[in-house]
Amino acid sequence: MADELTKDVPKKSAGALLQSVPKNVLFGILFLFATFPLFLNIALPNKPLEESTAFYANLMKLPPNSKVLIASDWTNSTRGESGGEMEALLRILIRKQIKFGLYSTADPQAPQVARDVIARIAKEVADDGGPVYKPFTDYVVLGYFPNSEGTNLAVNNNVLTAFAGKKDLPEGGQQTDVMQSPVFTGVKSLADFKYFILVTASSTDKIIIERIKKTPMMFMVTGVMVPENVTYYASGQLKGLIGGVKGVYDLETLMEKGEPESQVASLPGTDKLKKNKMLKGTAYYPTLTICLFLLILFIFAGNIGMFFSRKEAK
Amino acid sequence: MNYALLKMGAGVLATVGLYSMLYRENKFYRFWEHVFLGLASGWALVALWTETLYSTWWTKMVGSHTDAGAPATRGYWAYAILVPISLLGYTVFSKKHNWLSRIPIGIILGLYSGQQLSAWQNRYLPQIMTSMKPIIPNGGLFKNSTTVPGTLTVSQALTNIIFLTTVLCVLSYFIFSVDVKSKLLKNTSTLGRYLLMIGFGAIFGSTVMMRFTLLIDRMYFIWIEFVQNGIVHAMTNR
Repeated sequence: MADELTKDVPKKSAGALLQSVPKNVLFGILFLFATFPLFLNIALPNKPLEESTAFYANLMKLPPNSKVLIASDWTNSTRGESGGEMEALLRILIRKQIKFGLYSTADPQAPQVARDVIARIAKEVADDGGPVYKPFTDYVVLGYFPNSEGTNLAVNNNVLTAFAGKKDLPEGGQQTDVMQSPVFTGVKSLADFKYFILVTASSTDKIIIERIKKTPMMFMVTGVMVPENVTYYASGQLKGLIGGVKGVYDLETLMEKGEPESQVASLPGTDKLKKNKMLKGTAYYPTLTICLFLLILFIFAGNIGMFFSRKEAK
Repeated sequence: MNYALLKMGAGVLATVGLYSMLYRENKFYRFWEHVFLGLASGWALVALWTETLYSTWWTKMVGSHTDAGAPATRGYWAYAILVPISLLGYTVFSKKHNWLSRIPIGIILGLYSGQQLSAWQNRYLPQIMTSMKPIIPNGGLFKNSTTVPGTLTVSQALTNIIFLTTVLCVLSYFIFSVDVKSKLLKNTSTLGRYLLMIGFGAIFGSTVMMRFTLLIDRMYFIWIEFVQNGIVHAMTNR
């Protein structure tokens, strides 16, 4: 009986089959391909982009105890890209003993997300025998500010007034005025910070480009923001740019091997991080490449299916 | 089980819950969606006072004191004027007095508009200036270590020609004010449209790459950070 029933069901052609793969099967395959390569050590050849090299070289050329100001405008929703960027940036700053102030204007959660990453990376570097980085002494979290336009204009005009009244927590101490932090010692203007570094997943890149004038800027943006921000780098408005997971992979490659052409050294401890699979760009970039191949394959299969279906219909 | 692992476990559940939407609409997804919204709203509300109103308005208005109780900074009572002005924003709910809500809106618009001239200048002038690129080479074929700074190699000149052609063709596409009859302008306009499409394609490709990276990161969180470095590590070190 069952055999008779199946006999009546018309057999699907190859073209129709290729076009009717269930959505859940496609998602399942994608999840598999986004997971499996993470367990493997796939080394992709990489030539860092000019803007990534400039970013790394600029930071590596700073003398110890220099100061930079960071605008951290990302949260866990873009951890895949911004998280890797922030980790790489902090590893460089801490190893080079560069002091930094950090504030956010895009999301109230951003300062806490940044705090967690700073604490983790500072511990990682200290455990590896690198410099011990302490809150308030070596870095200060200035908090969240609403109204990105107004805040960034105020930061450019008078950095001391913009952050006046803000408090942060020294290690084992109580809330203290941020102006008492060594990060602000000798700071009279934004120009006293060697670089303004923005790590963002929101539109604060445009706001900051329009308002910050007193110090050179370098951006770390998500992949979708790269095409727009490359123009800022090409026009000289940015001195360095890290874009998406490719940018993180570039930075980690430079941290591992240095840049012989610009005579910029590698960063100590990177080999160990790579061995322990702690480098996000190095882990994600090969996986992303495999996923993109899969996407191309799906598109190709769908089109082949459509071609055969049309041919059969004729 | 330690606290860090428990915290990560909650993160894993939230990730699985939110991705379960890909299968179909379900209550597990809705639960985690509401948890996320509730946490974000609660956090934002607290941050509104602690990070914004308290430090940038209240402390400046009333001044601050040292731990010993002595005055540290003077208070500026002029900040109190902001209260009635901002409260006017709520008159939007009154039919009779809603015109008053235009006052705070007008102030905000005025402040924003005032910034725009300088903002536009900072954003676009450097781009316009660097668009004027030289196209006649005065050096070798390719740039190498012996190339004197300031020399324009043939390869760089070619790059500049492609850049300028793109800029001019795309600009010609946006000539809408006059009826374009010139054949040359029509062709450059068509080329400009194709070049714009290539640009949009590149942006779309970047977007796809970004979304994939977010998925890869979630898988890294679940399998590497939680399972491999968390659970397996805790079990082997027990």
